[in-house]
Formats: sequence, structure tokens, C-alpha cells
Amino acid sequence: MNITTFSKTKILLQGKMLIFLCLSLAWSPIHAGEKTISTTKIDFLKLKIKGRVTSSKDRLPLPGATVTVKGTAIAALTDMDGNFEIAADSGDVLVFTSIGFKTKELLLNDQTKIAISLEEDSTSLEEVVVVGYGTKKKATLTGSVSELAGKEIVKSPQVNISNALAGRVSGVIANNRSGEPGYDDSSISIRGLATTGNNDVLVVVDGIPGQIGGLSRLSPQEIESITVLKDASAAIYGSRAANGVILVTTKKGKKNSKLNVSYNNDEGFASPTRLPNMAVAPTYATIRNEIAYYNNNAGGSNQIYTADQINKFRNGSDPINYPNTNWVKEGLKNMSTVSQHNLNIQGGSESTNYFVSLGKVAQEGLYVNGATKYSQYNVRTNIDSNINERLKVGVSLSGRKEDRQYPTTGAGDIFRSLYRAFPTSPGIYPNGLPSTGIENNNPLIQATDAGGLNTNPTYVFNGIARGSYDFGFLKGLSLDGFFSADISDSFSRSFYKPYTLYTYNSTSTNYDPTIVGGGPDQQAKLTEEQFNQSMLVSNIKLNYKHKFGEHSLEAFVAYEQSESKTHKFGASRIHFPTTETPELSQGGAAATDYNNWGSSYRFTRQSYFSRVAYNFQEKYLLDLQLRIDGSSNFPVGKQFGKFPSISAAYRISKEEWFKDNVSFFDDLKLRASWGQLGNDNTAQFQFYDNYTFNNRYVIGNTVTTGIDVVKLANAGITWEVATKLDLGINARFLKNFTTELIYFQQDRTHILTNRNASIPGTTGIVNPYGGDSLVPAENIGEVKSNGIEASLGYDHKGEEFSWGVSGNITYAKNKIVFIDEAPGVLDYQKQTGNPLNTYLLYNAIGIYKTQADLDKYPHVTGATLGDLIYEDHNGDGKITADDQVRSKYGNIPQIVFGLLADASYKNFDLSVVFSGQTQVSQYVLPESGTIGNYDSSWADNRWSPSNVNGSYPKVSERASSAVSGGLYKNNFWLKDASFIRLKNIQLGYTLPSDILKKTGISNFRIYLSGSNLFTLTKVKDYDPEGTSESGQFYPQLKIFNVGFNIQF
Amino acid sequence: MKNKIITKSIKSILCVALFGAMFTGCEKDFLNVQPTDRVSNASILNDQTLFEAYVINRYLGVKLTNKEGDSNQPGFGRTFEWAMWSSLTDESIYNNDDNTWLIQQGQLSPENLGIAGTLWGRSYRGIREVNYALNNIGKVPMSDSRKSLLTAELKFIRAFRYQDLIRNYGKVVLLGDKVSELGNDFSDPSLFDRRPIDECMTYVVNQLDEAATGLPTANSSDYGEGRATKGAALALKSRLLLYAASPLYNNDVSDTQKWAKAAAAAKAVMDLGIYSLYTGGYANLFTTAGSNSEYIFARFYNVSARHLPLEIANGPNGYSAWGGNLPLQNLVDDYEMADGTPFSWSNPTEASAPYDNRDPRFAATVIYNGLLYRGRNAEYFLPGGKDSSDGKDNWNTSKTGYNLRKFMRDDLPIDNPWDVGGQQNWIHFRYGEILLNYAEAQNEAVGPDASVYSAIHLIRARAGMPDFPAGLTKEQMRDRVRHERRIELAFEEHRFYDVRRWKIASVTENKPAQGIIVRKQTGGSFTYELKNAIPGRSFQNQHYWLPIPRSEIQASNNKLEQNPGY
Repeated sequence: MNITTFSKTKILLQGKMLIFLCLSLAWSPIHAGEKTISTTKIDFLKLKIKGRVTSSKDRLPLPGATVTVKGTAIAALTDMDGNFEIAADSGDVLVFTSIGFKTKELLLNDQTKIAISLEEDSTSLEEVVVVGYGTKKKATLTGSVSELAGKEIVKSPQVNISNALAGRVSGVIANNRSGEPGYDDSSISIRGLATTGNNDVLVVVDGIPGQIGGLSRLSPQEIESITVLKDASAAIYGSRAANGVILVTTKKGKKNSKLNVSYNNDEGFASPTRLPNMAVAPTYATIRNEIAYYNNNAGGSNQIYTADQINKFRNGSDPINYPNTNWVKEGLKNMSTVSQHNLNIQGGSESTNYFVSLGKVAQEGLYVNGATKYSQYNVRTNIDSNINERLKVGVSLSGRKEDRQYPTTGAGDIFRSLYRAFPTSPGIYPNGLPSTGIENNNPLIQATDAGGLNTNPTYVFNGIARGSYDFGFLKGLSLDGFFSADISDSFSRSFYKPYTLYTYNSTSTNYDPTIVGGGPDQQAKLTEEQFNQSMLVSNIKLNYKHKFGEHSLEAFVAYEQSESKTHKFGASRIHFPTTETPELSQGGAAATDYNNWGSSYRFTRQSYFSRVAYNFQEKYLLDLQLRIDGSSNFPVGKQFGKFPSISAAYRISKEEWFKDNVSFFDDLKLRASWGQLGNDNTAQFQFYDNYTFNNRYVIGNTVTTGIDVVKLANAGITWEVATKLDLGINARFLKNFTTELIYFQQDRTHILTNRNASIPGTTGIVNPYGGDSLVPAENIGEVKSNGIEASLGYDHKGEEFSWGVSGNITYAKNKIVFIDEAPGVLDYQKQTGNPLNTYLLYNAIGIYKTQADLDKYPHVTGATLGDLIYEDHNGDGKITADDQVRSKYGNIPQIVFGLLADASYKNFDLSVVFSGQTQVSQYVLPESGTIGNYDSSWADNRWSPSNVNGSYPKVSERASSAVSGGLYKNNFWLKDASFIRLKNIQLGYTLPSDILKKTGISNFRIYLSGSNLFTLTKVKDYDPEGTSESGQFYPQLKIFNVGFNIQF
Repeated sequence: MKNKIITKSIKSILCVALFGAMFTGCEKDFLNVQPTDRVSNASILNDQTLFEAYVINRYLGVKLTNKEGDSNQPGFGRTFEWAMWSSLTDESIYNNDDNTWLIQQGQLSPENLGIAGTLWGRSYRGIREVNYALNNIGKVPMSDSRKSLLTAELKFIRAFRYQDLIRNYGKVVLLGDKVSELGNDFSDPSLFDRRPIDECMTYVVNQLDEAATGLPTANSSDYGEGRATKGAALALKSRLLLYAASPLYNNDVSDTQKWAKAAAAAKAVMDLGIYSLYTGGYANLFTTAGSNSEYIFARFYNVSARHLPLEIANGPNGYSAWGGNLPLQNLVDDYEMADGTPFSWSNPTEASAPYDNRDPRFAATVIYNGLLYRGRNAEYFLPGGKDSSDGKDNWNTSKTGYNLRKFMRDDLPIDNPWDVGGQQNWIHFRYGEILLNYAEAQNEAVGPDASVYSAIHLIRARAGMPDFPAGLTKEQMRDRVRHERRIELAFEEHRFYDVRRWKIASVTENKPAQGIIVRKQTGGSFTYELKNAIPGRSFQNQHYWLPIPRSEIQASNNKLEQNPGY
């Protein structure tokens, strides 16, 4: 009996869904220019009121604004010219609302024609914010959520969105580590580090968690808003939300709006933020003599170069044999270009709206004659349509081509060569021939296409079909869902061509050629690799939304599943007879000339989740969320985790007694949230012993199939859990001030981390250097963090002059509660109890200037005059590893701050963003010695027998293994990486509309902007945002930009 | 029942709602993903081929630090890496330091181990992996004869790992067949129980006896070259017993019986009658592809499994090479004159042409000023020598005035050698060593009898050097055999252990690391001037054994005993 009933339901639903599916796939045509129909019947007893709604700022018509008669259900929408018609009585009050504008009320007298303009309201509490699986009115938010509008992001001339976030959003720490085109993503963390495990923030684009293609390469022009979920409100993303969630929403057309075409062009000029000044040739030649002298005192102080030779380096009389090469200057341009074009088309009819965006980016590298290039083409269409009153469907399609082109030598190696290469070696000989640089690495040539090219086009496709259906039988009950398919194809092709470098032979006066590059035997080599990724996500969600008097309820239950796959396939060939045939088929013929490799994986997730949001009069607010997530990373029985959250808010300013007594506040909200979030980001298949083939042992001249154990089992591996608590106050006071104050704390438990230090080597459980560890991740770590976020803003809106300033600061401190440490580790050297990422270093307390110093202080074997004095921390009269101490800070700042200012006067507008960080340290020891050049701060200030008051230690063969360098890693090389920098500035001018009137152009704006224009920091030679411990990285970019926007 | 049906129905509805059946939702085992790039322990133990593949890779070890295993996984010892083990001795220094100078300069400590920090961890990891195979071989579907062969092979590998431990650390922890697993009690005292050296030696030698019984005398098609034979097990036993009899292992007391055992062990290899000295020349022994009659056990390399290219790593700057492991004057001076007399700087003839008329092995081991190398004479001279600091890339100029010649294959390129070079085999045991083991042990056990002379003379004859004079005393013979070992086995990872076990390191390793300055006079003649190659060479008594890494002592909660003096 029951069975039949349910089967029927099933069939019915199946049918409905089939229709639904068909509708969502077969696209309904767009009816542009369709006339507006008011949503209510006109009551003939009432007056027919006609009117027009415009925006107060630009006097442009406001389509889609709602006009309601207060206290009734009578409402109308404005058409695309801002016109509306509504029936009302004299004495009625008309309420005008539009998203992003302040609500205005108008008492009707006898007028039947109305012209009204609405004021823009960016801080409006009516504003809707995107949250996980839905939207919320700002006023009813209970969690810690920051929002950044797309129009703010476009103010930055950076092509990579991740580089436009710093300073703008409190709680978000975005550090740009490199400016290399195509590889310039900032590392983003929310409220600092909270785990020893994976720290990746989950990026959700248009509702798709972890969409392939990510955040950074989206076009800024297609972004409507970015929302950051920083607290337990992210728990709706369950197993991936522990490190915070960034929600990106792309633009959509507005219903009932005219076709709007907007074209934008930016032309930028990029240069490095900062580069080290390297030692000049006479200085370096002297340093070489000093090193030789230290090695062999008996040989005297001119063992490598005579005074005469050094003089030749100085006076430039013999540029072939005694050059003075500034490699950095010869290798890098002063300016490189960044160009961006974008065309946005949007509009909508009553039933359908559309947004289409086309973009192009072209960026070149900093190298002189360099091969580095990044270009991008992107297209997006977002279309939403109401099929009928109940059924809505939408499709978002986005495609992108990211074209990366590099020389076959990587940026790290080129910069390594630039900084290592000796000023005493020529770069390019006066006759134009390139020298052999440093060990046959000439960065001036490496950066070009002489050694071949690496081209790396990546295609990203994101498709989303979504639909929603309102059930007729119960008001407020609806079903929605989406299906998304992401595909990314990345193809990499590297053709390594041999090329010739020269050495001048002073005896024969010939330039002796050396062929370098390419593959073996000075012949070309080709490597091709294809990397495919795909992800399918399906989601179905049942919603209920209802108002019972003053009680509002919004709830949903949902199911989601996703499947990710990757596949890599690569092949290479060597011994190409000619460089003219760069095809795999054209290489050498021997069996050993071929090579190939490949790998693939599949990963799945299943999720059940729900939210109930309740409020009373929008005064008392309560949100409950629960997500049950299953992941294929864990063994059966441990696959599912539960992630609950609760958050509540009390809008005290809604209380009558408060309103009456505290006029100071316009709005005051107290809120709190608690929740548990997960992190499942760990390697697959760690729940059993993993054995893989590793064919390296030669038996009888053949490489034989061998197997190694690469991972031991952790049968109980499961979720990392973040328990988050937030207490916050949001306020608007004295009309123009807004502030937010948050205290947050997080306890990260069951952190997936690899046991290493506590396992004695005699167990044989020994992790390899680099690569994957033998021990599996175990749920053993614990880190507690807490901090404060605060922001304060002031806004003044005037008729001609408007301005605003705001500041935000985030203080995030973490403390390791449990990390795997050896049981015998000394108390003061423990990581436990300290922040993450601190350094264990000797404390350098000076330089041995005299023999008396050497006698006075205990010192390590081999320490001599000119070396750093290390503190005998434990006072045992010897310098041993026991004397190392933990640094106070690591390389993730504990404090980040932003300072923003906006102003507009008549047709001018200005926007400024400063960002900064402090309580942060970075260790940088340059690769100097006979192995590489010195930066001038060291070279010019080095201790030497003739400069016993030098502030830097004496020079040596290799800094990395010197007593004053890497042999006893010490805090002389630890820099305070605090900085404040002008992250972004933009000055714009909008042409007055009366000038444009006859041109058909509705808006024209030109602007100048810049990024990283100046930086205040104590770090001398490198950009303080870099993390390279040798300082050898592609520098961050300073960009000057000029652009315009034209709208039709 | 009803509930179940409802649940099931709701599930079905949800499934359908998921945009139709085309998307594989709600599969029962949607979350159970099977890997395609790895197998489990169950597979290893159920498949003879997989199990044997696992056994084969036990000859390899894990990479534990930077600048090792660059092109291929490490095996036993150090072998062909950037800085070779020789650069921790009075054979050579490494031009680019790479954490070797700290050892030469007496800074070796539990926290500063340089290149000598990986043997502890790598050996014990290897031992665990071997033990896993030994414990489980019974379960593998495989013939009994194959099982006993593989068991013997595994025991040999484990013994080799113990050799790496014992000769570096002295007393070591003996684990038997123990296989530690995650979740075990890692404070178990048996993990930190360093046993007396004698006990360690006895254990390993017994293991080798067992291995020798099960191993074949020769390799075959289904047990190819590169896998241990009976000779390999006996050769390792010979080396270990020689060490066991040496002063360092016996508190400087000479135990004739131990020497006799060592001599017998070497003799056992000789008596196999299958090995003989290679007759194609000393230099070619190390460069010719494939094996020859002198090979007892080697790590083989080929174009598909290479080590780093030695020629660019070790050659002179004038050839666009990087210096690398630089022979010291200390070694150069020890090569005899061709007539068997010692070289002396105080002999004006010899001092004016120090490279002439030397032991032919000198030119096969060291590149010196004037040696014909790759089509031209090496030019270390100042001013203007191509391989001097006046030459190109002078930061790569040899600090000693010499470069390494041994192992270099002139048919492999210096420029761009990355997919070509690095094919030389590393010979772990060769017959030459066995003869020297025998001569040394036999001399200590019974004195310089005829068998001592004849073993040494085989070596001398192959090198083209005259016989030793008759009537040497035991002490004279001892010095000569030690000297012969230094010359014959240079750069083969013997010197480091020899100077320690003879307890002469406090002398040899405290001498300045010397090089040479060659000056070209007008008229073309050369003068020679000794110089310090690196400053502060120093050896202290604690350095007779390596320190156990500080991290290991800490992991044991200080229960693991550190070697004395650290």
C-alpha cells in the first residue's frame, strides 16, 4: 500500500524534474526591450500615479526599483527608463526601494506625476549580502562577514584579483610573494595561520565550492562582489571551511533594464617594487681577495686580483677583461606593460536578464628582450529567466584561456643567476656576444627565447545550470538546485634549444664558443605535458521561507555531491637533429630518446546540510546550520563528519527604550557565533600502507621494476576540526560613522599533521627529504588562535563633495598547543606554546672585532675575527645547538591593517588604499661568497681587517655554510618585515553628461591608478612580502596605470 | 520496515531530483575511490612478482638531505654525490664546501653534521624494510628455493646497512627482525640500546654467514648482476672482520686472533677462485662499462638510471667544469716515485718536476698541471693558465691546484651532460680490496709471510710498480700496506674509515689541507709553492666516531647514548 503511494510520488516528481531539466537546458530566447507590467491589478477607484525614478548621483533612470503603497500589497516596478505607474489615494505614502539605494517615502497629495531621485547607499542595512547558499540582508547578519564590491576591485590595476584584496577587507591577509606574470597569486589567509596543516581558503564562485580556475584569474570587471566568511558562518561549507571561505559572485543583468554596453581599457606600466643593489666589480674583486686571504693567510691579500687589476675594474679601461657588470640593470627593464580590455553587455526584460563579458589581458615580463608573457582571454555569460511564475532557470557559462609563455629557464633560476653573477664577469661583450655568465648560466640570455620556449596555455570552462521551483501548495516552499561542470585543460610544451655563449680568450684573442642549453649532446629536447582537471557538482535544496506576524523563518535542507578528477600525461624526446622540427615525432630515434609519464586521481564528496534562520522583528536573530560531509579521503566509517554552527544577534537599537535614550547610535548590533568547521585537505589513501613502483635499480644493465613503501597506514585518519567563537559589535553612529569590533578565537584540533620529530630513527620510520612523507597524516595537532578585528569608517555624502575614510586592523595571534616534537627537546626551543612558523636561531649579539672579543666570548670552532658573536644562551661556556632560541614572530604577520580613503568632487573621484603589516619576520641570507655576488649593504659594510667596525660579518666562501651564515643559522639575517605601502590609488574624472548627450555615450570616465607605488619598510634589499630565504625571486610589481571606461 | 521504505523512497526522490540519472549521484560506494598508482601491503604479499620487486629496491635507500640522490636514489654509503666521502679526509676537499668543510675544520657536532648526517636514518629505514620482507616472506606464494634465495639476499642487504652504521657510529642498536609500526611505544628502551661493538660485529658476521650459504656463487639470468652473490657476502664479512680487528675497535689492543679471523675471511673470498685483478689497466677499471673479473659487488648505472655527471661536477674550470672534489697535496705527495721510493720535496730533482716519474696510479687518479686531459694539457699555472684563477669562471678554480681524474670518462660530455653523463658504476667490493685486506690482516696475525707479499705484489704489478723489498719487518710491512691501501683505494670510501680504525686520524686529519701554486717562469719552466687550500683543518678525538644526530637523541628523550666527546 505504502509502496504504491510513494512510487506514484516518485513518478510524479520524476516527471516534473524531467521538464525542469529540459527547460533549463533548452534556452528560452531573450526578449529585450519588453514592456514592464506592474505586478498588481490596478484598482480603478484609485488615482493613477505616474512617475520616474532616477539615481541622485548621475540622474540616470533607475530600472527595477520597487514602488509600494505603504501598508498595502500594491506595488509596481520601474521599467528600464525608470518609469512606473501605480494606483494610490491621496494621503497614501509611496515607498521607493531599490537595491543599493536608500529607501525613500513620499506622501501623496494630489499630484499624479512624480519625479523622484534615490540616494545611493553603500552602507545601507537593506543591502543584501551573499552568504553561503543564499543571501542575507546586512541588517540580519549574525556572523562575521566582510564584503567587497566589484567596483572597488577594479580600482586596482593588478590583473590578478588576489593582489587587489590587501588592505581592503579586515581579517584577510593577502601577501604577494612574486610578481611573475602568470604566477603572481597572493597567498591568502583569513585571520592568520591557525593550523600546522593545510591553510588554503575555500573559494566559492557563484555557489560552486572550490570551482576549478579559482579566484585569482577571474576578470575584475565581471565580479559583482566578494564576500568573506570568517567565522562559524562558514560552517555551511563544512569539511572545507576551516580556513575561511571566499564567496565570489559574478555580475548579472538587471530585470527591466536597457541594454548597457560598457568598455574598459587599462594600460599599465610595471616595474619591480624593489631590487637589491649588488656590489660593483672593484668591491667584489677585493672581496675575492679577502676570501682567499682568509683561506690562506700566507698567500697575502692579492691572491686573486692585483691592485692594478682591481683598478682596471674600477676605471673601465679594459671592458673585455675587466668589466664592471650591473647584471640586474642589464637584465631588467625599467618598465614593462600590462594591458587590459573589457567589454560588458547587460540588460534584461521582465522575464529574462543577461550579462555578457569579454576580456583580454596582456602582460609582459620584466626581462630585457625577455620571453615571458601572460595573456588571457575570458568570456562569461550569465542568463536568468523566469519560465513562468514558479519556475526560474539560469545558466552561467564562463570560458577562459590563460596563455603563459616563459623562457625554458624558470624565474627562480634567472633571478638566482642575476644575483649570483659576478660584476667582474661581462654580461654581453662589447662586440655583442653573450658571455658564459655564471657557470654557463647567462641570465641575460636565459630570459630570452634563445634557449627555447615554454608555452603553457590553460583553458578553463565553468558551466552552471541552476533552477528553482516554487511549490504552489505551500507558500514559501521552493526547491532549487544546480549542476555544474568545470573543466580545465592545461598544456605545457617546452622546447629546449641549444645556444652559444662565448668566453674571451686573451691569449688567442678569440671568443671561444660554448654550446649550452637544449638537451643532451647539444641537441634540442622537447617535453610536452597535458594536465586535465574536471569537477562535477550537483546540488538540490528544499527551501521554506515564511513570516508569521513578526516572526520570520527561513530554512533549507540540501544535498550536494561532487566528483573531481585529474589526469596528467607527459612525454619527452631528446636528440633532435634540428631545432626546426619541434614535434615529438621528430626527435632522436633511439629507444632511450623517448620518455613518458602520467598519473591520475579521482576524489569524491557527499554532503547533507541545512540552515534555519529565525528572527523576531529583525531584532532578535538566530541562525542554526548543520553540514554532514563525506569525503573519499577517509576510510569507511570515518568518512562522514558533522559540522554544526549557531549564531545569534541582538539589534539593541531596535529597542524603543534604546532609541529613546541613546540617540548617539543609529544602529547597534551585538552578535555571537559558535561552530565547528572541518578541513579534509590531505593526501588520499593514507589509511593503508602504500607501495609504488620506483624503477631505479640497475640489474644486468637494465633498470628493473622495483617497489618502495612510500606511506605507512593510519587506519583512523579523519577530519581536522576548527571550533570557532566570535563576538562582535556592529554599529552606525552619528549618522556617518560605522564601526565593527570583533573578538575571535579558534581552537583547531585533530590537525592532520605528520609525526616526525618524535619518532626515533631506529624504528626505521624515517621521512624522506622533500617529497611525500613516509608517515601518514595523523589527527594529532592542536593550535589555538585568537584576535581582534576592528574597523572604523566615516562617510560624508554631499551634493558636490563626498568623502569617506575608513581603517581596519586585524590582530591574529596563534599558539601551538600540540605539534609533534621530540620528547627531549629543550623547553625554550619548543614550538609548543609559541606561534606557528617561528624560527630557531642563534642570537647574534655583535661581531668579533678584536682578539680581545674572541677571548672574551665563548665561540664555535672556526670562528675568527669578523664573525658574528653568538649569545651563550644557557651559559655553559660553549656555543652549541642548545643556545638557539625561538624567534618571536614567524613570516605570517600578526597584525595587518588597511587605510582607505575615497573622495569625489563634482566629476572627480579619488580612492586610496594603504595596507601594511607588522609583528612579522623574514629570514633572508643571500647566496653570496665565491658562489655569488653580495648585495651592497653587506659588501659595503662588511667587516674586514681594514674595516674592523663593519656592521656586517666578514665575507667567506659561501654564506650558506659560513660560521656567520647558514652553518649557525642566526637572527642577524632575520629581518623585521613590517611595512606600510600605498597598495592602490586611483584618480578619476567623469565627463559631464551634458557634453556627452549628443554622442550617444551615456558615461565616460578616465582615470589614473597605481599599485604598490611606495613602501616604507626596514627591509633594505628585497620586497618585505617575499618569502624566499635567499632573496632570489621575481620581484613584486609597482604599476602605473591609465585607463578609461565608456558606456553606451 | 515502514521507516526503511520511507527513507529509501526519499533517497530515490532526491536522486531523481539530482538533474536526472545522467549524473551518477547516490551511488552506494560513491565515496569509495580506488587508487591507480599504488598497491597495498596485501598486494605485495600476495604476488610473487610484486614481492620480489620490493626486495630488489632494498638495495636503494631514501634521500635524507639536499645534495644527495640528485639523479638517483642513494644506495649504500655515499658514493657518487656532489661532495664525495673522500672530501672528509686527507684525500680531497670539496671546492664548493657544501657542508664538508665543517667536518674538515673540526666543527662536526650532533647539530652540525654536514654531509655525514644521513647514515643513521637511512640505514635504519633500510633495516626496517628488509625486516618487513623477512617477516612476511613466508606468506608469499613463491617456491621455497626462491624464498631461501631472497632471504639470503635480504640478510646481505641488512648486513650492509649495519656496516654503514657500525663503521660510522661504533656501538649501534641491534633490532633483530623487529618492524616498528606507527602506534607502537616509541619510548621502548630496546630502540635505544646501543650494544657493544663486538656483539654488533658478531651479529652481522653471523648474518653474512647465513647469507653466504643461501646466495649463488655467480649471477644468472633470473638473478642478475647488481644483486648480491656469495662473494659479496664474504667480501663484506672480510671488511667487517678487518675493521673488528683494528685498534679503534679494540681500545688500541692488538688481538692476533681477530686478525687471523680477518685474514681467513679475506682468504675465503680469494679461495672462491672466481675473482682476479682486472688486466685492462687501473684507470679503465673504474670507467669501463659493465663488470669485469675484479667486480665482487657494485651498484650499476646506465643511461636510464644515472648518478650526477661526474665530469662537470669535478673537472677544472678551464673545461667549464665546477671543481668538485679536489685531490689534496697531502695525497699527491704520497704517491711513490715509479721506482718505489718515496717522493720528497727536499729532493731538488723531484721538487723541480714533481709530477714526473710517479706511480702510474697518480696520473690515473689526479689531474695535475701539464696532464693531458681531454685533448689539451691542464693549465693550473699562473699567470694565464686556463685552469687557474686567471682562467674562465675562476670561482671554480681548484683550491688545491688539482682535480679528480679517477672515475672520469672522457667519452661523456662536460657541457650539458644531464641526460647522458653519470653512468660509471660504483664498485662496493673489488678483488683489489680483498687482497689488501688479506695482506694487512695476515701481516698482523702472523707477520709478513710470503702470502702477504704475493697478495700485495699482485696489486703492485697491475699498477706497474715494483715489488716490495724482501725482509720487511712486520711494522715496515704494516706501514707499506697502509700506504698501498691509501694509493690503490683512493676516493673509494676507504680512507675515512682506515685512518680512524688505525687511529692515525689525529695525525693525518690534523695536517693542513694543502694545495699547490704552480708558477710559470719566463722561458716556460715551472716552480711550485705549497699553500693552504682551506684554513683551520682540525680533528679532535671525538671525531673518531660520527655523532648521532641531535634530533635522534632528542627523539629518544635523551635515552640514546651519544658518542663520547660530543
